[in-house]
Amino acid sequence: MARKGFQRQLVELRENVLYMSEIVLERMRTGLNALETKDESLANEVIEGDHEINELYLELEQNCIDLFALQQPVAGDLRFIAASFKIITDLERVADLATNLGDYTLEATRDMYPNVDIQGIGNAVIEMVESAMTAYAEEDVDACFEIDGRDDEVDDLCERASSIVVRDLIETEIDDGSSDEEIETLMTEVSRLLLTIRDLERVGDHAVNIAARTLYMVDNSDELIY
Amino acid sequence: MSFEDTADPTTDTESLADSPAAGLDDTTTRRGTGRAVIAARGIDVRYGDTQALSDITMDIPEGMVTALIGPSGCGKSTFLRCINRMNDLIDTCHVDGELRLYDKNVYDDDVDPVALRRKVGMVFQKPNPFPKSIHDNVAYGLNIQGYDGDVDARVEESLRAAALWDEVKGQLDESGLALSGGQQQRLCIARAIAPDPDVVLMDEPASALDPVATSKIEDLIDDLAEEYTVVIVTHNMQQAARISDKTAVFLTGGELVEFGDTDAIFENPDSERVENYITGKFG
Repeated sequence: MARKGFQRQLVELRENVLYMSEIVLERMRTGLNALETKDESLANEVIEGDHEINELYLELEQNCIDLFALQQPVAGDLRFIAASFKIITDLERVADLATNLGDYTLEATRDMYPNVDIQGIGNAVIEMVESAMTAYAEEDVDACFEIDGRDDEVDDLCERASSIVVRDLIETEIDDGSSDEEIETLMTEVSRLLLTIRDLERVGDHAVNIAARTLYMVDNSDELIY
Repeated sequence: MSFEDTADPTTDTESLADSPAAGLDDTTTRRGTGRAVIAARGIDVRYGDTQALSDITMDIPEGMVTALIGPSGCGKSTFLRCINRMNDLIDTCHVDGELRLYDKNVYDDDVDPVALRRKVGMVFQKPNPFPKSIHDNVAYGLNIQGYDGDVDARVEESLRAAALWDEVKGQLDESGLALSGGQQQRLCIARAIAPDPDVVLMDEPASALDPVATSKIEDLIDDLAEEYTVVIVTHNMQQAARISDKTAVFLTGGELVEFGDTDAIFENPDSERVENYITGKFG
């Protein structure tokens, strides 16, 4: 095998991207847990830990740029680095969304609305990211399409959850006797819940992006990109 | 010895040009007409008992840059030299198959190799200006072929096309050998295009040049492809990727393993052998 140094760098890049995904997924789990338990220490852990992921992202981004500039990769090597370059961006965004969950936890003034299965949606999108990273690690094309299919289910779940939030909370908790302060508080909670649902739905979108880039990496196919 | 040395100014070259060849597949490319200017069919080349090329079949499209890449000894330069019959100069070389320039098989008995070489100019790895003035280097082929137009105007036109005019216009009577290596190579390109060929062959034209001179040659190749069909042999795969529209990958044994759009070859080759070669997994 020629270009041993380059091949070793490719192996290291793959390992580092997978390592970054493990940290990001752990942050998502912690953020979801904080939301459920209203645990401020967990929320702060996620928020304060974001800079670590940002630094890792910048480091891996630079690694990719160096490989492009210094090794001038082609063919499968090029697609692997290009895909990794895009995937770390998706992972960094997922980490930002985990941070949002921490923020929502700190801002919350009431328990999570029980009729909306935030935990179920959260676990579903976390599993999607896990599956996408496994597909990346194992170069599993079939899994990429399967993840794309799961996103439709998550989108439906999120749409239903948003409807429930709007309909139930506004219709059942606001009446003629509600004070302006009560209405304002409720609307803030509705916004927070809708943002939470939207952010979780976006995590699913990032999982699909990772699957799409993995499909490109393995098969040079842009079928799942957009 | 260069082909101009044996030139016959009375040879009519028109039968070698100006006629369309069988069309290529309709592929998306950034320029060119899409028709084949060179069509190789089953080209076999042997040097004595050594097989250098084996059953090469390919269409080189008009008005594009086609790069020939592959490891040393794979036959890419041999193929290049088949196109203008430079291999005729090697006694032990034997060529079988058909190689058409437009609709004319260049190996037909009635083809004059010297006339052919005016239609298919060549630039070599090492700049090889004649020990003559800059003007006379460019005018050399024109004078030999009995060019009846304005030689000085054609010399200027060729030097401009070779991106050298502005650097040498005040010293046309000085020796071509006094120029820098990069300038000498552009002078050789001007000399090759002065007779207005259909095809310009380049055998590693920048491998002896520094990065700045190389960049100028690469820019020049891009410009030349607006007017000529360029076929270039290069060991520098990044150069092939930068400057060519089509890439042909020759591998050991004189086999053409893959030929297609350059971006496809370098992003997603069909052949695992090509993938392994271009990614450097084997030499």
